[in-house]
Formats: sequence, structure tokens, C-alpha cells
Amino acid sequence: MAYFLQLVFAGIALGCIYALIGLGFSIIFKASEVINFAQGELLLVGAYIVSGGVFVWHLPFLLALVLGIAITVLIGLLFERFLLRRMLGRPPFTLLMMTIGLDIILLTSVIVIWGSQPLPAASPFGVSSGFNLGGVHFATNDLWTIGITVVLCALLFAFFRFTKYGLAMRATALDQEAALAVGINIRRVYALAWGMAAGIATLGGVFLAIGSFTITPTLGSIALLAFPAIILGGLDSVSGAVVGGLVIGLALDLTAGYESNLATVLGAGFHDIMPYLLMILVLLIRPYGLFGSRKVERI
Amino acid sequence: MNVSSTGEQDTTSAALLSVEDLTVRFAGVKALSEVSFQVQSGALFAVIGPNGAGKTSLFNVLSRVYQPTTGRVTFAGRDLLRLKPHQVARAGIARTLQSLGQFPSMSVLDYLLLGRHTRMSSGILSGGLYLGPTRQEERKNRAYCLHLLDLLDLARQSSLPLGSLPYGLQKRADLARALALEPKLLLLDEPVAGMNVEETAEIAAILAEVQEQLGVTQILVEHDMALVMGIADRVLVLDFGRIIALGTPAEVQAHPDVIKAYLGETLGENTPLSAPIPTDTSH
Amino acid sequence: MSVPKKTSAPVADRTRAEAGLPGRALPISRWIVTGIILLAIVLFFVIAGDDWFTIVNNTLIAAIAALALNVLSGYTGQVSLGLAFFMAIGAYTAALLGGTQPTGPLDSQGFALPWIIWLPAAGIVAALVGALVGPTALRLKGFYLGIVTLALVFIGQYLFINLRAVTGGPQGRTFPVPAIGSATFDQQNTFLGLALTSGQQYFLLILPILVLAALFVANVARTRAGRAFRAVRDHEIGAAMMGVNLFEVKMGAFVLSSFLAGIAGALFASYNSYVIPGYWDLTLSIQFIAAIIIGGVASIWGSLLGAAFVFGLPQVIDHFSLLPPPSGNGGLSSGDLNTLIYGALIILFLLFEPNGLIGLVGRFQRTLRASANEKEESSDPAEISDLPFSSNSH
Repeated sequence: MAYFLQLVFAGIALGCIYALIGLGFSIIFKASEVINFAQGELLLVGAYIVSGGVFVWHLPFLLALVLGIAITVLIGLLFERFLLRRMLGRPPFTLLMMTIGLDIILLTSVIVIWGSQPLPAASPFGVSSGFNLGGVHFATNDLWTIGITVVLCALLFAFFRFTKYGLAMRATALDQEAALAVGINIRRVYALAWGMAAGIATLGGVFLAIGSFTITPTLGSIALLAFPAIILGGLDSVSGAVVGGLVIGLALDLTAGYESNLATVLGAGFHDIMPYLLMILVLLIRPYGLFGSRKVERI
Repeated sequence: MNVSSTGEQDTTSAALLSVEDLTVRFAGVKALSEVSFQVQSGALFAVIGPNGAGKTSLFNVLSRVYQPTTGRVTFAGRDLLRLKPHQVARAGIARTLQSLGQFPSMSVLDYLLLGRHTRMSSGILSGGLYLGPTRQEERKNRAYCLHLLDLLDLARQSSLPLGSLPYGLQKRADLARALALEPKLLLLDEPVAGMNVEETAEIAAILAEVQEQLGVTQILVEHDMALVMGIADRVLVLDFGRIIALGTPAEVQAHPDVIKAYLGETLGENTPLSAPIPTDTSH
Repeated sequence: MSVPKKTSAPVADRTRAEAGLPGRALPISRWIVTGIILLAIVLFFVIAGDDWFTIVNNTLIAAIAALALNVLSGYTGQVSLGLAFFMAIGAYTAALLGGTQPTGPLDSQGFALPWIIWLPAAGIVAALVGALVGPTALRLKGFYLGIVTLALVFIGQYLFINLRAVTGGPQGRTFPVPAIGSATFDQQNTFLGLALTSGQQYFLLILPILVLAALFVANVARTRAGRAFRAVRDHEIGAAMMGVNLFEVKMGAFVLSSFLAGIAGALFASYNSYVIPGYWDLTLSIQFIAAIIIGGVASIWGSLLGAAFVFGLPQVIDHFSLLPPPSGNGGLSSGDLNTLIYGALIILFLLFEPNGLIGLVGRFQRTLRASANEKEESSDPAEISDLPFSSNSH
């Protein structure tokens, strides 16, 4: 039982990381209808800058964190401003491919700069710090992950509900032309969306890194699992991204935790495909995800 | 001939298209309410009405893109509502597109050949092997489409991509594509939208020829009153999804409900209807 | 009359590109070009060394796979990240049917059938799997479809790692080699008095297959099915209104694409003789997407050019040792440079030349024609595209 609870707790923490990635992704998608395939790689870059900052440049953790966020935000803003914006009005597949291009460049740049050997993950607290309760170890990292995610969700909720720019983003998401017509600065909305998404990605990357103890360039592919989470929740639903992330995180950890019992039947690595199987299952019933909606097409 | 505000039943000759009590409702809005009318074979039938009146919804039902809440539609003696969207073309109904620029990279000729999709039969395997029968089919249909382009004065643009054509020619190419199906019924979705006087006259002439020489039945949704009143045999007026008049152009123009729908309660001096208003308006 | 929009210039040559030809040329020059190509092929065949055969053969195989992806994504507009999966299905079908029979419990399975059976079977089985997966996948659109095809790649990898009997498990296995009689293609043999190296033998197998595939796809593109593909890509609802059965067309494209991918996978595995399951991964799928974007979507020649760029060029760079191999400690290796380049090229091409290299070729040809306009005695009537303004909008 304790084992189960341990898995649930870890799963929720992992789910929060996926929720963070999904949140960033959703913000970009809602604001500009762009599918950012590079979301996972932004996470990777952020994680590397933080860890690299601490271990290679010997910066204090918080400074490295700020640096990481700043640089990924800058990348996001530059990409959006100089490359993506020229592609307005192009078909979504084209925009998706642009972000795949960004993804490739970011990943390769990380490999070129830092190499593919594992780098220790920078962490403000000890690796095994945390407290035990009822046989379950509550790792500090996981607690921080869950806590920050909850806070971020609340902040985002307040942002979208009560602030001017939050309202502007929601308006843009609903109807770009109408938003333009009422004087909303779409360019700023896009920039804001990408900046926020990049910053959130870095946070997710840092938590993921701490949880993995070391980071390698393959961290981005762990983040790839955020895509089934997003799809499962529904592409155009921010709350769907969070729910999807939690579902996937839980499913991953629970499956990983129990699959050794079924190893003879399932073989190795079943937990890696569990998110995809879940996603396919959901899509069979709801082709636009749990909370997604159909786009209206003109004849 | 009587003009009633709920539609009339002409039972003399068999109608090509018969719509009965059609209602389309979504999200609490009634796009169409108990619409009934008939279109005779060979007629040029127009549907007009202010924006939001339900004209496009009507076409979408006929194209089977919308599923009506209630009602029946009979086309050439068959129940149209049993068909799936891609079966409508095969049944002989062609429709022009409301918004252009949807197929920018296709050449005009290829676009017309696409219009002949249901009249051809080669598939992936036969197309890939490109043996005799496929070759012949391509040749014959190409010739037909080039001939059609000639008739519509688009022959010079046959190998140009649609996206490179000016707006008026794109509309004409779309009309040619719909005609390439050799349809029994042609649905024209605002065929002269955005055109100037000359272009409209060209289209009007084409539509008249289509009716006289090809005998194709046409249903026209339009805002351009001059066009509608000039070439339509009968006109259906919709407003808020309901029929408010059905009859010949002259009858419809004089109908008080129609005038009210377009102008509001008071009768203005400049009406959008091109024919002179009858002076006897005392009823 | 309205002035053609800014996008009309690249779009204007899409039709020609989509016909599979690099541009409209006078008949004489087309023969000259064909002649030059044939001469180049013969020269290459006779002169080139083994290294070059490796590069060219792998590029030709990649071209077949790029063609497969173009059929599904380029012509029919279905987002697919799953090419690697179908290539793997083809490869493992070939392995199972053609592999040497196992001598012990740890050996991989094989029925030692000849290549004339396992090669087509690779395509057919991949096509069947496509037919199985298609109805579920093709209900989805856009990114949803893309991620489901991504799921295929990962589910495939899980299956391949665990089905040791067929795939050899994580360590991989050897793949069957074509043979004529007792002469197997992995060694030098003498045919009709000519001594041919392994590379040359494979070349004589791969090139005709590529040519046949290219001709087949080109024919499909210019007939009814190809028009239906493009209609589905451009505007589904409109296509349906014209009588196109969306589901059938998408399935057809999916099955054809899977077939070609299976053949390419089998050829690749056979030629490289040893492949691990980890090879058929997302990166491979993405490389092919890059290939068709760089080469030119919905274009036969574009598939070849793109494959040459993404798969051939890095091997050429390696051959000349222009850059050090990857060291794991950072620094620019040849593989990294190539990846950076094609990542950047994806973005650049999408920004400036969405029709890829073929589009560039077309633009170049138009510039040439525009300057030679007075001299040209063309029997074609004057067309709007001959006017200067339509080609100068960039």
C-alpha cells in the first residue's frame, strides 16, 4: 500500500512537470494556433543552462535559474518575432514544421555546446532530502514541483481572468481578427505567450533534471511525452493540458512501478508507451481529446 | 398565381428538387424553420434574403454538410438526406465554393478534372500503372474539360495555377469546375460576389446559356438583385430562417414583407430592388 | 483586375513541380538533360569506388522512402511522423522471410526465402499494417494525427525491442541479402563476364526500383487519384462536395505510402546488413520530413533532391573528413553540423521557398526564360506567368 502511495505521489509530481510543459504549449497554441514542437527542447535548454551555470560556470543556483529562464525566454521571443511571425497565415503543418526545425537546432546546439555526456543536475536541495510519512518518502523536489505547479496554475488563472493582458490573450485565442479590430496588440500577445511558455518550460526542465539526478540531451525526449498528455487533454484546452499531464504522469509512474511484476508478459519498456496507448484510447472515444473542441471550417 | 408567405405547392409537373418542412437548428439557433419549396427541372431558382437568413444553411443541407433537425428533401425522386456528403456529387448535384483560394496550386485544367472526379473511375493502381484504359479516360476527360474552358473563355489559363488568377477568373474557373460534373442541379453560392458590373454581366450570360443550352437546373444564392431579378424564373426569400415570399421576380419585388425585411418598417425611396416599385401600395 | 497576390510566384510553379518535372523546358533540352543524366549514371557505375556506391545507394533508398512520405504528407497533406515505423515493418518482414534459418534457440528467425519473395512482401506487409492502422488514425486531423503516428514509432520500438525472435532484441540482427542463384550481393560476383562489386550489384537492384516507384507515383499524381490526394490536402470539405470519398482517398494514400516505406526499409536493412531496433526512431521520421521540405513537397524530383541532401550529404562530408566524428564532449562533429544545417534549412525553406529546392530550380528557370524571352520561339501562347510582375514579387 505504501508502495502504491509512493508511486501515486511521484506520479503526481511527474504529472505536474508534464502539466507545466503542457501549459506552456497550450498558451502558445491558444494565443497563436501554433503547435510548438520545440517545447520539450526549450525545457532542455533551460535545464542545461541552469545546470551548466552551476557546475561549469560556478554560479549560485538562483542566479543560474534566472539566467536559464532569461535565455529561454529570449530564444522564444526571438524565434517568434523573427521567424514565426513571417509565417502568419500559412497552413498549420508548415508552422509545425518550423517548430520542428527549431527543435532540431536547439537539440543539436545543446549537444555541440555541452556534449552528450551526462551533466549533474543542479539542485538547491540535497538529492535525498524530504520527509517520510507512513512509509512514503516525500521528496523535497517533488513537493516543490507540485507546489510551484499549483501556484503557477493559480497565477495563470488569475492572469487570464483579471489582468488586461490575460484578457487580451483570451480574446486573441478566440478570434484573432476580432481582437485586432478592438485594438489588441496581437504582436505583444504572441510575444507574451512565447515568453511565458519558455519560462514555464525552464521551470519544468529544472524539476525534471533534479528528479533525474543527471541530465543528458535525451531529456527533451522525456518531455516528448508531454504531447500525448496535451492531445489527451485536448489541444486547445489549458485545463486539458493540466489534466492530461497529471493523467500521463500517474500512468507512467504506476506502470513503471508495477511492470516488473508483469515483465514476462510485457517485456521491457512498457511504461514508455503507456502514455501513447492511453492517448489512443481517449482519442478513440473523443477524437479531440477530453476537453478539446472541433474547429469550425468554412465551406 | 398565388403568392403566400409560407410557400406554395406546384403539383403540375414533377419537380427535380422538393424540400419539405426543412428545419435546421444548432446551439439554440434556428437557421431554417419549416422551409418548403420545389424547383422544377430546367428552372433557374434564386434564394435571396438578408445576411443570416439561412441561405448558406440551406445549401449546406443540400450538400449534406448539415444534418437537418426535421424535414425531407427529395432529389430526382430519391431521398437526398440518406446520402453522405461525397455521394451528393455522384447523384448529380454540383456546388460552387463560397470562399475562393482553397486550391491555390492546382492548375485550372486539373481543377476541372477534379470536378469530373465522379465521372471518372481510375484509382491508385490503375492510375499508377497508366495503362490503356486509364490513358484513354484521361485523354477523353481532358478534352472535355478543355472544351468547357473554351466555352467559358478560360482556355488560355488552363495550365495556370488557380491561385495566380485574378478574383473574377477564379470564380469563373470554379463555375467551370462545377459544370464539369455535368450536373443535373447546379448550386451557385454567390457567383458574382465581389464582381463589377461587366464581370457580373458575363456570369449572367453564362448562367442563362447554361439554362438554355445545357438545360441544367440552377439554384442561385445571391445578394446582387439586378442579377437575380434579371435571370431567375422564381425567387425564394428567406429571413431569419423562414420563407417570407416565393414567386416570380416581379411578385417578390412587390411583396410588402420582402420590402420590410430589407428596409425595415418604413418604405424608403431608394430600394435595393432594381425594378420600379408599383405605385399602388395602399394595402 | 486585381494584381496576383504575393504568394502567386512560388505557387505558380507548384503545378509544374507537382507534375514531377523540374520545370517546363523545350523538348530538345529535355532530351539533352536525360542524356546527360544517363551518361552520368553509366560513368558513375564504371568509375566510382565502393565508398561512393555506399553513399549513392543509401541515398537512392532514402529517396524511395522520401517518395513514400511525399505521397502521404506532400500530396495528401496528412501529417505523419510514422515513416520510421513502416520502414521497420518492411525490414523485419524481409528479415523474417528471407533470413537464414536459425540454428539455435538464440538465433533470430528466418525462412531463407529468396529476395523475389521477401522484397515485395516487405512492401505488402507494411501496406497491410497501414490498412489496419489507417481507419483509426485517419479519423484524426492535423497534430492529433501527427502525434498518433508518433505513437506508432514508439509502440513500434517497444515491440521491436521485445520481439527478439524476429528483431534480435536490442542488439539487432543481420538482414537477408539478395542473390541470383548462388551469387549473393554481399560479395563480388561475375555476371555475363562482368565482375561486379557488391555496391554495383545493389545499385542495379535499387535504381530500377526507385525509377519504377517514381514513375508510378508520378502517374498517380497526374491522374484521378492524384488530383483527389491534392484536393484532400487543400480543402477537405470542398473535395467531399466534389464527390471525393475522403476516407478512401486517405486510406489509399496511407497504404501506398506504407508499401513504399516497407520496400525502402527492407532495402536499407539488407544493404546495411545489420540494424538495431533503435534505428527506427523519431529522428529518422523527422529526417524524412526535413528531406521532403528541403527537396520540395509533392514533387518526385524533390524527394530525390531532399534525400540526397539529408542522407547523402553528411556521408559525403564524412568521406572527405571535413569534420571530426562525434566525441561526446561537445564540439562540432560532422553529424551535428549536418543536423544543424538541415534544421536551419527547414526554417529557411519554409520561410522563403516553400517549394523546396525544386521551387528554387523553377525560379531559376523562370529567370532564365524571362531574360531570353524575346529570342524564345515557343509554340505556347502567351500566358500571364510570362509577364515580369508575376516572378519579381520576391
